Formats: sequence, C-alpha cells, structure tokens
Amino acid sequence: MWTRAIAAMARQGLPRIYWALFTLVLIGMVTAPQFRTASNLANILEQSAVLAVLALGQAFVIAGGMIDLSVGQLVGLITVIACMMFEAFPSLSPLVIVGCIALAALVGLINGELINRLRMSPLILTFGMLSVLQGFIFMLTDRSVGQVAPAITFLSNGRVLGIPVSLVLVAVVGIAAYYALQRSIFGWHLLAMGNSSDSARKAGLNQFSLTRTAFLVSGLCAGIAGLLVAGRLGTGFPNAGIGLELDAIVAVVLGGTPLKGGRVSVIGILGAVLFLGTLSNLLNLMQVPAFAQIVVKGLIVIVAILADRPGRAARLA
Amino acid sequence: MSAESKPFGHSTRLPSLEKAAVWIVLVVLLLVAGLSSEAFFKLNYLTNLLRQAAPVGIAAVGVTFVMLLRGVDLSVGAVISMSAVLCALVMDGRPENLWLGIAASCVCGALIGLANGILVAHGKVSSFIMTLGMSIVVYGLVQVGSGGTARGIVSPGFREVVNSRIGGVLPVLVICLLFAVAIGIFLQSRTRFGRSVYLIGANPEAARLAGLPVNRVTVVAYAVSGLFAGLGGLALLARTGVSGTNPGAGMEFDVLAAVVLGGTTFAGGRGSVGGTFAGVMVLFIALNLANVAGLPFAAQLIIKGLIIIIASAAHSWIGAGSGGRKQE
Repeated sequence: MWTRAIAAMARQGLPRIYWALFTLVLIGMVTAPQFRTASNLANILEQSAVLAVLALGQAFVIAGGMIDLSVGQLVGLITVIACMMFEAFPSLSPLVIVGCIALAALVGLINGELINRLRMSPLILTFGMLSVLQGFIFMLTDRSVGQVAPAITFLSNGRVLGIPVSLVLVAVVGIAAYYALQRSIFGWHLLAMGNSSDSARKAGLNQFSLTRTAFLVSGLCAGIAGLLVAGRLGTGFPNAGIGLELDAIVAVVLGGTPLKGGRVSVIGILGAVLFLGTLSNLLNLMQVPAFAQIVVKGLIVIVAILADRPGRAARLA
Repeated sequence: MSAESKPFGHSTRLPSLEKAAVWIVLVVLLLVAGLSSEAFFKLNYLTNLLRQAAPVGIAAVGVTFVMLLRGVDLSVGAVISMSAVLCALVMDGRPENLWLGIAASCVCGALIGLANGILVAHGKVSSFIMTLGMSIVVYGLVQVGSGGTARGIVSPGFREVVNSRIGGVLPVLVICLLFAVAIGIFLQSRTRFGRSVYLIGANPEAARLAGLPVNRVTVVAYAVSGLFAGLGGLALLARTGVSGTNPGAGMEFDVLAAVVLGGTTFAGGRGSVGGTFAGVMVLFIALNLANVAGLPFAAQLIIKGLIIIIASAAHSWIGAGSGGRKQE
C-alpha cells in the first residue's frame, strides 16, 4: 500500500510549488545565518501547523468544486469556546477537546446540509455563516478569555527530541487526507463532482452525501486548527481566525488544486503551506518592514499562481 | 439573453420570474422592515439607507461585469481603501487639489483593474486567487503609503457638497449611486461591450470561435470594476470625511454578496446591473433592520449572516426551474 502510494507520487513528480520552496530555502541558507538553525526550522514547522490542518480540510471542499469561507471564524469560535471551557472545567479537558472538535464538525455538517437543502451557492452560504459565527464569538466575548489546557499547549508548542509535536499531528491529518482524497472511492467521487457536477449527477453519484462529507471534514479540520491556535495563543482571542480562510484557500490553490475542483494534491498543499511559512519567516529574519512584507506576500501569490498555471486551455475563471 | 445562448440551460421556462426574484425578495424585506419600524417608509430614512449603501453599491456595479464573465474581483475592498486614502493624501486639505485627488483615485483604481484584467485574461489563471493576491498587494501598498495611520485631509467643500441634500431631500451621494447604476445599465444593455460580456460569460469557447475579442473584453471588464471600486472609495471618503488606514476592509465580501443576491451567478452569462442594485438594497436593509431593532453588535452580525442566507435561498427558490446548484 505504502510502496504503491510512493510509486504513484514519483510518477506524478513533485508539485511545482516545491521548486519555489527549495529556492526559498536556498536563499535563506545563503543570506540569513539564523535561518538554518534547527530551532528556527522547527519554528517554521510549528507555525505552519494551523494553516496546514485548515488547508487540508479546505482541500476536500475545493476538490469537490465548492468553497468554505466560514472556517476562519470557526477557528476563532472554537478557540474562544475551548479556552472558556478549559478554564471552567480544568479536570475535564479531554471531554472539552472532544466536544470542541465535535462542535466544529457539526457546524461543517450544518453548512453542507444547508447547501444541499437550500440548493445554494456554497460561497454565499458559507459567507453568511462567516458572519453568523463571528456574531456568536462576539456574543461570548469581546476580549481574550480563559486559558488553555496543558495538553493543548503541548500539542501546539511541545517538542520531543527537538521535533515539534504539531508536526506529528499534521502528518497524521495529511496522511488521512491523502488516502481519503487520492486513494479512495470517496475521493474519486468527490473529484468527479468537482470536474463536472452535471456528469457526476448523471453517473448516479450521491452529490448530497459528498457535499455533506466534504463540509464535515472541513469543519472537523477547523476544529483541530482552532485548538492548535488556542494552544499557541494560550488564551481565547476572539479575532484569532480573521482572514485564515483566505490563507487556507491560497495554500490549497498554490498547492496545485484549481478552485474549480476536480484535481487535488495533498503533497502540494503541504508544500504550499511550508512555502508560505518559510516566506514569512525569512522576511522576518531579513527585517523587512511589516507593511512591505504584505506587498511581497501578495506579489508572490500572483507570481506563483502565474508560474503554476497549466499553460493551455483558455479558461476565464 | 441567457436563455437563447444556453440551449441546454434550464432557464427557458420562467426567465422573467427568475429575474424578478431579487425584487420580490426586496419588496418582502421592505414590508417586513416597514412592519417592524415605521421609520423605514420615511423618505429620509430610505435616502439615508441609500447613502450608506453608496460605496458598496457603486463598487458592485463594476463587479457585476466581472462576474458575468465567470470571474470574480476580490480586490475591490482594497481598491476602495486605496482610493479613499490616496484621495485624502493628494487633497491634503487644499481646495485646489480637489479634482486632482478625485482623478488620482479613479486612475489608480482603473489601473489596478487593468492589471487584474491583463493578468487574468492573458495569464489564464483563477481570477479568485489572482484578485486575492492583488488585494493583498494593494492593501500592503496602502499601509506603506499611509504609514499605518490616518493621514491626509479632504479638501474643504468635498465632503459638504457630496453630503448635502438637493432641495433638502435627495442626497448628492444617492444621485451618485443612481448615476453609477445608470451607467452600468447603459454599458450592459446599450453597448457592444455589454453584449459581448453576456455572450462570453455564457459560453467563452463559442464566443471565441465566433470571433469576439474575449481577452480585450475581459481586460475592459476588470478595468471597469477597478474604476467603479475607485469611485466607491471616493463615496466612502465623502461620507465619512476621514480616510483611516483600511476603510474598505472586508467590503469585497459585501460587494460579492450583493452581486450574487442580485442574481448574477458564478457560472456567468446571467444577471444584471439592475439586479445587483436590488441585491445591494437587500443587504443594507438587512443590516439596518438589525440596527433599528436595537440589537447588540454580535446579534447584528448573526442577523446579517442569516438574512444573506435566507435571501439567497429565497432567491434560488423563487427562481427554481432555473434551479440546480450553482456551485462554481
């Protein structure tokens, strides 16, 4: 099973974003001496964990030709709720963890179910949901609340033998996502729906079930990401998730998954997340001013998307 | 228009009802609003509502053309910010710089749109990500330019004139909004550009084979979107009087929601500027309804989200038969 997966990967070659990543790492090695220290590299991995999990969840939705804009605020909501609960019930932290992930999955399920039943555009529905979730966050609190359980701190910031614990978590989620999206019947069907919703329906695929599952996974991943954010911040910050959904979408697309769906690469997404993490790390080390960093980041997104285009087939969207 | 160009589409049965859907939603929402508070039927209140809606509404007119072409323009929020900040910086509180500031904002908005258009049309890349990247760049430039604080002062007279009410009733800003919508409708239905947009959006391949200048029309559409976003930024600056550092933050999603509520789908080729105007109104009545009810900010956010969802659901329900999921 493993050998087949690796053989398939070798056949397809590494996604193009890895060339950008290697270049960036090379530049870092040469220009910034602090860059190549083991602790800095571990830092990059640690900082990338939230985005990695979130992007992998988003990949399910985008692979099916849909989009989930609500995940950023869902991360914020879970961060706040988790920290409030950890503080209120310090002895029940395993239960709180399970509860938070279940709640996030439930929100994802509601998204999918509403899209199915109301026959709505996922973009509009999840945009509405973004606002609703933000409202819930501010109903709970308008400032940082609570504190995080030690277990979550360990998950986010802990290192065993210098290896970040969150890296293990990302690896587990990544492998699961790889098998679900690229090695399973479910993945085939989801990609078929992304390729052509019409043909998938005519072929008798259950689009409702596919949609529901994709959003469920997206919510689940947002829940895990929310706990990771809580661990990193140490407290429930209501604005923690603002804009994360767009970062996740950028990572998915830079990783070689078109927004129309129908194609997906988990390895590519992980590469794109690392690329974005390394970029901001390097810009910080080079002491580029914060505002200029924003410009550089935007330009890199544009250049990367231009460099990664298929280069054939006229398409507008 | 779309019915003929999409022979296998589903909208052949009730095109008129589909087009009217957003207006029906608007009327129902207005009735609900009127029932909940008598203020809604006062002329002053309605014109105030339109004044609030002007920045988003003006930008939404431009984005409609991009979405008719199966694209999307997420950079409008950043362009609105850019326009407001740049205009205030150029004006610098001096009356002689009034028109210079306005012109600078319009030109920069159009240039950013032009860059979007060229990159999307000739790069053949996803407009979502391309304009998202552009919005990050523009946002960063605005921050660099403003230094992270609210700088620049509007010229005397600018704010006063745009905020005045003609005859004490009709605000100039509302006239600007209606004028922008009128220009949009003119572009859409009376020009070759408008017709090309519909044809290309309905079927780009067929349009290309028929010899339509697909790339040129795409570039123009994005430039129009940038220009209108620039004008929206000016409207915002005139309404508030201060530029801030990122006044258009998040507005791209309000614009997007308004356009989609107005019946323009991501599948392209269907929708209209008139529908977009109705969509803008639905959105802002929803916001005001929550406001008038005296709900706290958190509840307002929830209601805004729910109304976007319900209005859009009602819209696709009324337009059923055109049905199916629009998931592109």
